[in-house]
Amino acid sequence: MWSWYTDALRDYAATVVLLGALMLLVYAGLRALGRNRDTALGWTFVLPWLVGFLAFQLFPFVASLYLAFTDYDVLTPPRWVGLANFARLLDDPKFAASLKFTALYALFSVPLGIAGSLACALLLNRNIKGVGFWRTLYYVPAVIPAVATAVLWRWLLSTDGLVNSILGPVYALLGLDKPRWFLDPETVLPGFVLMSLWGVFGANTVILLAGLKNIPRELYDAAAVDGASGWARFRHVTVPMLSPTLFYVLVTGLIGALQMFTQAFFVEIPRTTPTFLQVYIYQEAFGLRHMGYASAMAWVFLLVILALTLLVFRSSPLWVYYESEVRGEDRAARGAKAPGRYLDLLRPGLRRRLRAGAPAVDDQHVA
Amino acid sequence: MGILTWWNRRARSRWARTLSLLIAVAVLATGCSLPSAGGGQPAGSSDASNASGEGSGGEKVTIRLATWAHAEEAKELQAILDRINAESDRWQIVHEPIPSDYATKIQTMLAGNTAPDLFWLAQEDVIPFAATGVLLKLDEHLQGDSRPAANLGDYFEPILGAFTYEGGVYGLPWIAQPVVLYYNKTLFDEAGVSYPDETWTWETFKEAAAKLTRDTNGDGEPDVYGFTMNGWPPFAMFVWQAGGDIVGEDGRTAPIDSPEALEAARFYQELIYNPKYTVPEEVIAEQGFADMFKAGKVAMFMGGASDDLDRVPDLDVGVAPVPSGPKGRVTFAWTAATVVNAKSPHVEEAVDALVALTEGIHHWKIVAPRKSLATREHLLQSEPRKEKAADVILQSLEFMRPLRIVPQYKAFDQALWEQYLDPLFHKQGTPDELAPKVRPELEKILQQSS
Repeated sequence: MWSWYTDALRDYAATVVLLGALMLLVYAGLRALGRNRDTALGWTFVLPWLVGFLAFQLFPFVASLYLAFTDYDVLTPPRWVGLANFARLLDDPKFAASLKFTALYALFSVPLGIAGSLACALLLNRNIKGVGFWRTLYYVPAVIPAVATAVLWRWLLSTDGLVNSILGPVYALLGLDKPRWFLDPETVLPGFVLMSLWGVFGANTVILLAGLKNIPRELYDAAAVDGASGWARFRHVTVPMLSPTLFYVLVTGLIGALQMFTQAFFVEIPRTTPTFLQVYIYQEAFGLRHMGYASAMAWVFLLVILALTLLVFRSSPLWVYYESEVRGEDRAARGAKAPGRYLDLLRPGLRRRLRAGAPAVDDQHVA
Repeated sequence: MGILTWWNRRARSRWARTLSLLIAVAVLATGCSLPSAGGGQPAGSSDASNASGEGSGGEKVTIRLATWAHAEEAKELQAILDRINAESDRWQIVHEPIPSDYATKIQTMLAGNTAPDLFWLAQEDVIPFAATGVLLKLDEHLQGDSRPAANLGDYFEPILGAFTYEGGVYGLPWIAQPVVLYYNKTLFDEAGVSYPDETWTWETFKEAAAKLTRDTNGDGEPDVYGFTMNGWPPFAMFVWQAGGDIVGEDGRTAPIDSPEALEAARFYQELIYNPKYTVPEEVIAEQGFADMFKAGKVAMFMGGASDDLDRVPDLDVGVAPVPSGPKGRVTFAWTAATVVNAKSPHVEEAVDALVALTEGIHHWKIVAPRKSLATREHLLQSEPRKEKAADVILQSLEFMRPLRIVPQYKAFDQALWEQYLDPLFHKQGTPDELAPKVRPELEKILQQSS
């Protein structure tokens, strides 16, 4: 039994020695080629990460692209099948259903999550006694592992669980039955969205709080002098000044929501309901050993995520405000190639106004 | 930083630089000849180190064995391994426990050519793995072996059948666990129901379950239930008891719409999650499945023969055979086997070790799936705590049956659940409506080449 551990330890030691030798080699090689010391040192220290990246990220990434065109059951060598996996994908109702389920989840959980994080950050940005303590307290949920939160929420959302007990009077008022959450196909999605709000407390709140701290006081003072109300200050100072941070939170939140896996993996739902696409891919790959088909799905999903992310990026000139940038005139000056042009669909009249030489956006902080 | 300052100083002159380059290359080359991480096939050096670690002769071949044994089990298994390793002068079994995510890790190791020589596989994995050619066909290798565990004729035929693919045996079964009926005597006495026995049929069972389901605190909802089911006990078991099957004998049909299979489906559907007889789904979600039996809230539970349900503190539990269905008594048996990696570099030694190991496990786990070992004495020797249950367990061996496994079993099972069982259990249709629609879908999967 122990020999097994010592074998593993020996392998680790060998890996460390090997990496060390490789680092020395690269350093010596670069110096021999006449690179200066800093460059050589830089490459040397980045090498372990680079090796890990090449072996455990880039290689599987490229390999999965190849596997997407094969029939591969893990136990026998892959067999080239061309586009068959992608053809099968087109009429796989489970793929479409999972994609829809995942998209709906993102559609609800991301805006709700950002709104919640923002509210949380605004509260924590107030000058109250012991704010440091509260900030720590509100970050604690983020430290709990995802599996633990999944188990916790499964319990909170059970039919006679805490959530239903607290909301009991509300259901009675609305004349509803107690929802059975993860047991009922109808309420699985709301259950997961509710669970995702746990993420309100955590990294996003901290990031938004940092963004709030960066807004110069003078702007609020100036707005107050101009007679702006609390809401007006929030709407015309906080939101535009915070928009780069909101943009960041939106992009990472969207990608994160689409890649939902861990919690979903540990919450049992009826077998007839669609699940998250990542879970479906995992089931196909490791449960049924349809590695080729799963790779094809993963690649199509990657393209979907990429497209959505690009869409968000394209939308950014319309609502994200950077202090260094002069809006409107700047884009008009850059001409038709400027980003924003592709959003005609979302902003009717934009192209017409650009053509007329008018600023695309009227004032500095349009959302 | 120290090493780099040193390095820098060394590397000042050109010859020193060249020299260090050569040293580095040399170190790298030595490094490469070490076994790679997670690695693998026992090289001569690791054999020697393992053998010398155990203090025995240096000529033994290392046979790697993977199991899903958790800490306690692994300790018990190690005692067996220590004994058989000492008896053999040809091989030395080294145990590599993989307590979680077992099947995924094994298939990844097989793909990466780092799989162990011997490993455990549960019944649903052996035939699918055998169909891809990664497992060694054992028949010829066992022929000349006179040890009792190598005698395939001694194994219960249905159990061996779960590991037989296209006429060849691909694993030596080490356990057969027939399902038996555990019952809480106190709850039976309180409800005035007589204990289950061999005369029980589906009807007596259902009547008893109804009587045992009681509201004890007067809030209008049952607090004690007669029985509990959630897909376990296996649907297939009831189909067998009715005389039907879910996979046809040729492995290409799914006769779930036969009159027998429909009768079983109606019975299962009537009982499951029905608060008249069994625990509702949301109560199971909150209070657990077998846990409710252990907590004294469920009167009857169908469990494996070796389960600890009959030794729960403060619970007076009896054991009976499962009730018989319209076409007689059949019980489900869970089974698992140890298989040999077809790519093992030491096939002869691996098979030899397999037989010794299997014999050892047959004196440890219950129930040993061999006719010659199906005695009360042998059973109690392996597990003295089964004193009260021994007779029922031995009786159940006579009518136990494992699943009929096909190479596409996982996909079949998934489709069966998604399209038939889940809708059935949630009353989204009657068996007569659902089964004829689902059958062609299932047969499409069974008739795919792989």
